[in-house]
Formats: sequence, structure tokens, C-alpha cells
Amino acid sequence: MDLHTKLKILGAAAKYDVSCSSSGSSRRNRPGGLGNASLPGICHSWSDDGRCISLLKILFTNRCAFNCLYCVNRATADVPRATFTPDEVAQLTINFYKRNYIEGLFLSSAVYKNPNYTMELLITTVRKLRNEYHFNGYIHLKAIPGADPLLIAEAGKYVDRMSVNIELPSSQGLQLLAPQKDRDSIIRPMGFIHSKILQAREERKLYKNAPLFVPAGQTTQLIVGATPDNDLRILRLSESLYKRFSLKRVYYSAYVPVTQHPNLPAIASPPLMREHRLYQADWLLRVYGFKADELLDETQPLLDTELDPKSAWALKNLHLFPVEVNRADYEMLLRVPGIGVRSAKRIIAARRYSSIDFETLKRFGVVLKRARHFITCRGKFYGERNINESALYQMLKPASTQQKAISSTGEQLTFSFLYPHVFQPEDVHTVITGEM
Amino acid sequence: MVYYIYDGSFEGLLTAIYEAYYRRETPEKILSSDNVQNSLFIKYVHINTDQEKAQRVYDAIVQKISPSAAKNALYAFLSEAQDAGTAIYRYLKLGWKMGKSVDSALAEPHVFRVHALRKKVSQEAGKMLGLVRFRLLKSGVYYAPIEPDFNILGIIAPHFKKRMPNQDWIIHDVKRKLAAFYSQGQYAIVPFEFKGALSLDDEEFDYQTLWKEYFQNIAIKSRINPRLQRQFMPVRYWKYLIETPGTQAKS
Repeated sequence: MDLHTKLKILGAAAKYDVSCSSSGSSRRNRPGGLGNASLPGICHSWSDDGRCISLLKILFTNRCAFNCLYCVNRATADVPRATFTPDEVAQLTINFYKRNYIEGLFLSSAVYKNPNYTMELLITTVRKLRNEYHFNGYIHLKAIPGADPLLIAEAGKYVDRMSVNIELPSSQGLQLLAPQKDRDSIIRPMGFIHSKILQAREERKLYKNAPLFVPAGQTTQLIVGATPDNDLRILRLSESLYKRFSLKRVYYSAYVPVTQHPNLPAIASPPLMREHRLYQADWLLRVYGFKADELLDETQPLLDTELDPKSAWALKNLHLFPVEVNRADYEMLLRVPGIGVRSAKRIIAARRYSSIDFETLKRFGVVLKRARHFITCRGKFYGERNINESALYQMLKPASTQQKAISSTGEQLTFSFLYPHVFQPEDVHTVITGEM
Repeated sequence: MVYYIYDGSFEGLLTAIYEAYYRRETPEKILSSDNVQNSLFIKYVHINTDQEKAQRVYDAIVQKISPSAAKNALYAFLSEAQDAGTAIYRYLKLGWKMGKSVDSALAEPHVFRVHALRKKVSQEAGKMLGLVRFRLLKSGVYYAPIEPDFNILGIIAPHFKKRMPNQDWIIHDVKRKLAAFYSQGQYAIVPFEFKGALSLDDEEFDYQTLWKEYFQNIAIKSRINPRLQRQFMPVRYWKYLIETPGTQAKS
């Protein structure tokens, strides 16, 4: 099989992994070497689905021993299979890198034969890249669930970032859709990588040249919409992952139906809006100081698809507003809908020299369309007076969602496995779109 | 009303700022010579660029304001915006009064303008770090043409020097007829024009094809989103890419 065909198969097979970032590492080039890592990361292109291409994202092989129902590469799927050799991967990476197509390599793999065997193949590849090809660019490596901790420790020496994909947010989900994986085989390597990262960091404090271990940290990915887990559950999981394992990111991937199975939901199109709202909520957790339980609770376990989570939170907590922009502290400014990190920082810096007027806020990038309902500026309130929660909700809602609401009904989940004997796949489709 | 006219170089702008100080004048505007439209009611003063005077102003920025103010001024200058010279002049003047805290006085329009220009320039430079595409020529040199909005060649060249120290490369700003030539640890930015076709290395076609195919394959068909793609990567940057974005329609 020639390289073109292999790249076609193994590139396409890797596309459902969302993580693309090349940030967090400042690995330096060595004399005679090629490449370095850029701390903020660099995007090199954007594919037709609007996602950034930063790393050469490929699978080492798509020959898989596991049979996870949601996955294109599951053992029983009828797809063309291919396997790279370590040298092919290295050559591709080096030559793409020299032409500045990519920032580095994202190497993942199906479980070929068994987890340890696969992990060893991956290690051979990255070791080759670093030691034989003297490549010092970014490498993101997947840790294969169930691989021996010793192998994971070895791999961590060569790469910048590692990730173990959780994929399904609950044990029940795993049992239903990925019977060969269990919660433990995923969580254990995460904990292991975390402790090794901490250890390496301590060592580097003592010895400047102590070896790096996964300097850009670890990430994971959750599939949204393949199981009935609600948003509250997902956000709580993310929150605890950030807290327990100091994960850099949790990525959310709207479930793309690649196969039909009674255990899988039948949906017309991926729940992109839900994914978008989860990302927004995720940023609120990581950057804006929110807690999962503030955003959602058991009575309302789903994020509003019509309204962004920060505005939704503000509407539930109207008694905290309006706040005076010239006096409110940074944490409170961040909680105002329409004020982001950048504009909050600008406000804090500028008001040390002079009080801020309404015009200046506009220049600072505050979205006044939303923010004006929640702030006062020099004591003056610029929002609507005597307005109730539901009227405000209508005002904050983006105008275009009127039309979107209709099309988004197709994204609602229908669990065909509840009535597999009633619905044939085609039937489900027509029921969703409402055309009989 | 007095306008100062400088030759379009950063040193020229700094010399103009020097002259304004020692002549005890406050020019209404400081303009680059290619931006001047003559008007009867304005006195135009042409400034002769002087390296020594420019250096003194530069040192004064670094010492009396801050190194980051010097960076702000340089980046804002590279935007080639018509009002850049004037904004930088006012910004620095305020800076010498306030010291390094001038960068917090964002409510001042000129400070904000300089920061806004700096941001635009560094954003484009950041984007270009990813969008530069080298082509391997028969001679063994990696050549990349670009057409950025701002004059960012000097900002991005050090990045590639660090990253690809063992290959000879040229980054060519086609619009400004400038190019950065790199070989063995050193680069120089010189005026450069290139005519005729490139003679590409034999293996170049193979890797170009591999990249194009990879690019087509990586998009998820059910999520095609041309608007989002263009938002991140405006069409004006597509000209010198190897891959061809925007060819897949939503099925």
C-alpha cells in the first residue's frame, strides 16, 4: 500500500479526535535539530469544517481489537485498514514540518493486538523522531487505555502532551457502548500521568536539566450525545478532572453518527449547539471562576441552547446586579454577561487612572448589548427599567435563534434503543423532521 | 498648523519626534511622505532622517518609559496606518510624562490607538507564523511567498531562524518587494523581486499532493462550515497556500 492511500485512510480515521492545540510547551530546539514548540501554540490551517489544523493528526493504525459501537474503526466495521511504519510517520512529520504545514505530530492509534503492543509501537515512533530525526517540534501522543504504566512513563519522556480519551461520561455508557473499556482503565493512566508530571516539575525546580515529562500537560475528550448523560453530569465530571488531575482541557465532541446500532441514538445531525454551549460552560469553569453547580442543578440539568450559560446564570441571579464598573472587583466583572477577560482587565487597568465612562466601555470591547442590563457606569444605569426576567431573556437571546430553533429540532436526541422494534432507522428520521 | 513629514522609515519617525521636542513645536500630525495631500493652510516641515537622533529617542523610550513601549511603538509603526505616526508621537509624549504606567491609561485615545494597532500587527504576525508555506526548490532552498496586510517580515523571521536553523530559506513579501534570506545562522531583509516560474524539487510535488489530500480528508463532512473557516483564515491569505480551502460544500 502506498503512502498516499495510508495517509488518506489514517488521516480520515483520526479526524473525530477534536484536540488540535499545540500550546503549553516551550521545548527549545537543540543544535543540529529541527523545530521547537511555541508556548501559545500556532494554528497552520483551517479545514472546511472550520476546525484548526495545527498538528498532523493521524492514527498509527486503524486495525482495532476493540469494538466500541460509536467508533468508525471498531473491529467489526467494514472499512479499509492500514498501518504506518515508524519511519513513514517520521518522514511525513519532518517533511511537512520543514514546509511549515504543521506544528508537530498528533499520534493516536487503534488498539492493535493489545494495548501494550500498540503503546510500544507508538513509543518506537516518537523515540525515533526525537533521537534519530532530531525533531524538537510538538508531539501529542494518545495513551492507550489499559497500557502498562511503565510504557506510559517511557512515552512521556519524548512527548509534549498526552491524552487519554474518556469518550463516554459515565460507566453505564461505557458498558453499553464500549464493553472492552472500563472506567478504571481510563482514570488510572490519567492519575499516573498527573503524578509523574508533578514529580518532574519538582525535579526541575532542583535540577535545571532534569528531564521533561509531558510539559504541556494532559487533556481528554468526551463524546456528547451518544449516551443519555445530561450536561450537569458532564460538567461535574470536567470540573473534577480539572481539580483532581489538573487537566489542561476537556474537549467535547458532538456525536457524529457513523454507524447504526440499537444501543446508539438515532440522530439526524450532530448536536453542535449543545457542544458549543458545553464549551462555553467549560470556559466559565476554567477561566471565569464558575462552579458546575452554579450553572446547572438537578431541576435544570441541561444548558439552555437558546442562551449562553453566562447570561443564563445572570438571569437566575438578578439580585446581584447591576454592578458599578468603576468599583466592582475583577471576579464580579468577569461574571457580567458581555464582559470577557480582556475587557475586564482593561477596565481594571484603566480605572486606576481615571473613572470610566460609557463610551470608553464600548472601545474596550464590552458587548454593551448584553452588558448594559447588568452594569451601572458612574452610577447611571443604561438598561431597560422595570423589566422582568422573561422579557430580559427575550432581549438577550440572539435574534437568529428564531430560525435555528426550527432546524435544531432535528438535533434533539431520540433514543431508538428504547423502541428498537418499532422504529426502523428511516422511520426515526421522518419522525424527527416531522414530515410524514 | 504644522505637519511633520518623514521619509517612511521608523528612524525617520523617531527623528521627527526628536525635532518636535528640540524645536519646541507640537506638530498637529506626523505623516509618512507617501501619505501627504497638499493643503494651502498647513505648513509642511520635511524631516531629514538622522540615525543618531533616532537612536537617542529610542533609548529615551526604553529608559524613561519602558521596553514594551518601544515594542508598542515599533509594531504600531509597522501597521503602516496613516495615523500611526501621529498616534505614536502623542503616545510617547504622554509616556515621557507618565512613565511606564502610560500603558494602563487606556482611556486616552492615542494610547488606545497605539495598542489597537500593535494588537492588529501582532495578530497578523501570529497568524502568518502558521500560514507561511515553504516550497522546496531545485537549488535546495525553501521559498515562501506571502502578502500580509502589515509589514511583518521582520517580526516573523526570527521565529523561523530558531525553528529551522539547518535549512536555507527565503520568505518573500511579494507586495512590499522585500524578502528575508536565511542561511547558516543569519538572515537579512533586503529589497527583492522575483520574476518567472519556480523550479521545484522533484519530491516537492509528492509532499504537496500528500498535504492536499490530507487537508481534504480531515474535514468532517457533517460539520462543514465555510463561514467559520473564513473567519479564522480570511480569503486574502489563501493565495499562497498549498491546500485549497473552501472546496467542500455541505452535503
